[in-house]
Amino acid sequence: MANKDSFLHLARPLGPAPIGASASTAPLSVSVHPQAIFSILDHSLRRPQDQDRVIGTLLGTRSEDGTEIEIRNCYAVPHTETAEQVEVDMDYQKQMLALHLRANPREVLVGWYATSSDLNTFSALIQNFYGQQGDGTWPHPAVHLTVSTEPGKEIESRTYISAPIGVTAERAADSCLFIPVPHELKYGEAERSGLELISSAKDREDRSQPIITDLESLERAVRQTLDMLERVTKYVNDVLDEEDEPSSALGQFLLNTLSLAPKVDAADIERDFNAHIQDVLAVSYLANTIRTQIDLSNRLATAALSLGPADPLADGNERREGGDRQKGGDRRNKGRQQKAQEA
Amino acid sequence: MADATKDMPIKEVQVEALVVMKIIKHAQQAFPTIATGSLVGLEDGGKLEVTNTFSFPTIDVPATDGHQQETAANLAAGAPRAKANVVYQNEMIKFLREVNVDANNVGWYTSANMGNFVNLNTIENQFFYQKEMNERTVALVHDVSRSSQGSLSLRAFRLSPQFMAAYKESKFTTERYLDCSNPCSLQKSGLRYHDILVELPLTIHNSHLLTSLLHQLPSEVPKQKLGFPPNLAALLQDQNTPQPPLFPNYDSLDLSIDPFLEKSCDLLLDSIENHHTELNNYQYYQRSLAREQAKITAWQTKRKAENAARAASKQPPLPEDEWQRLFKLPQEPSRLETLINSRQVEQYARQMDGFTASVSTKMFAVKSNLLPGES
Repeated sequence: MANKDSFLHLARPLGPAPIGASASTAPLSVSVHPQAIFSILDHSLRRPQDQDRVIGTLLGTRSEDGTEIEIRNCYAVPHTETAEQVEVDMDYQKQMLALHLRANPREVLVGWYATSSDLNTFSALIQNFYGQQGDGTWPHPAVHLTVSTEPGKEIESRTYISAPIGVTAERAADSCLFIPVPHELKYGEAERSGLELISSAKDREDRSQPIITDLESLERAVRQTLDMLERVTKYVNDVLDEEDEPSSALGQFLLNTLSLAPKVDAADIERDFNAHIQDVLAVSYLANTIRTQIDLSNRLATAALSLGPADPLADGNERREGGDRQKGGDRRNKGRQQKAQEA
Repeated sequence: MADATKDMPIKEVQVEALVVMKIIKHAQQAFPTIATGSLVGLEDGGKLEVTNTFSFPTIDVPATDGHQQETAANLAAGAPRAKANVVYQNEMIKFLREVNVDANNVGWYTSANMGNFVNLNTIENQFFYQKEMNERTVALVHDVSRSSQGSLSLRAFRLSPQFMAAYKESKFTTERYLDCSNPCSLQKSGLRYHDILVELPLTIHNSHLLTSLLHQLPSEVPKQKLGFPPNLAALLQDQNTPQPPLFPNYDSLDLSIDPFLEKSCDLLLDSIENHHTELNNYQYYQRSLAREQAKITAWQTKRKAENAARAASKQPPLPEDEWQRLFKLPQEPSRLETLINSRQVEQYARQMDGFTASVSTKMFAVKSNLLPGES
């Protein structure tokens, strides 16, 4: 979804550069975290009926020289738009920003978003509001992110910064030149697991997905891998049967991949395998034993008493026994673990 | 009608994808400290829909030595029930209402590390939420370490009604005095560690727009038929070369075993040690109780003998219940800690079980792949 348009910035694409600051020629690049996009889409679904687009504030981090911007978070800001005028709840924006900064002190205001790809006079007005001195992003340019949310079409996102334009001072307030800048969607390792589960629901009719266990996800991954292997095998076979067009690049790639298979001695594998499988099985067995022990101990704590006023000493003995057994399991487990560490 | 829906217990939890991503982001930023936040959403019959979330403010404690760091961690874990955060939460919800977000608090979330979330803090937070804020709230637990191992670990919990009742009266003793008519709370309620936390089935739900976005991730499907690349370099650089899909995640095919196993063993051993300490405490209590009881019985027989002698000499008998003033029975230690600890041990054991299951599968697969024909 990160757009593949190419950008050629002849001059530095930064807009209003502060006078005296050393101008860097590096282009501005924007990376967007998925939760920001998710939040924008959610907001777009919750817009008032009579409004085509909704806007909100983008929060994130900016590199020291201001050329790299990460959009990490965002929140919605109520606004009303008619043919003649636009009204943004500035007070709301300010208070919400303060609330967000309390939770995430490292994030700063970087710009704003709108849920339509159109740029109009109001966009310029809002852009100037976000880029102004004081509450805005000055001296850095405000980033404007548009996410098209038309149903049935692909979701397109674009990022812009702006340069002041206008003949007179009055006109300059409600006009600006939007300069497109490249952006990409970025997600880290931790987010991958979340995205994985979320996207596993994308082909389902009810758009929902229960949490899957480790074993299930393993099964699915293996299934998928087998599927891909089958496709490659079929292609190779077709080429051998002269039914499909051969490609030397693909062949080379496959050969490189195949040569990655490790060459190890069978005895080594056998030894490593046996050492590990024993550890794993022992730990599994002990974990289950411990669970039983805990359950037993818990039952003793309540069950012995429900028999009515029994001799307290007898009960004590029973429970001591439980404790000893527990300790035995404990010791065994410790020994096992040392062994595991040695291996 | 309204009453009917109110009384229906919450049976499942549906979490919006946005909430999942926000929790992951917050938990990961704060790792290894615990991240907590509030959940908002709606409730539909027996289904609790979590539609948005926000994190609680970070607490700045000048951490210089180890002790203070501990307090910082405690503060972070206790954040959901801190007074300042209740104010923050109400304010945030007020603002969210203005942009049509479901302004209804439905619980809180916390991050965990290797399943170590069953502790007093979690219990107290959830108790606070279920008692003070709104009965129909859940706790979402996101396990950062386990999620980085493969599939996402996000679970929903509630305190069981029996536990709520017991915790309200803070009766976690077996209360067995000599001829005491007090209800023996733990046995009477039959509370066991299984009953503390109730796990609810959790589903993840995507909006239509999100589904359409996900179909474009991580790379869009090429629009025209692709030709073959002229050479290897072109293949590697080609923009249309598909990136590995988000789902299924091939990380789950990873073969690293030992770090996880060791860590889990350590944690399990720690909990068992705790359990042992608790047991020892209880044994100590029982021994001292038995000692006192023996003393009381001795005293009573002595008094009875005295009374018999007095009756024989026609003197009025001495009162027989003076022992209650003379002897003081030791206070029974609370069993809550033991209960919670048992639950934690069970949680670790199950986690281990699940892990060993998938790991042994993978190991057999690798072995038969490298040594074909042997198995």
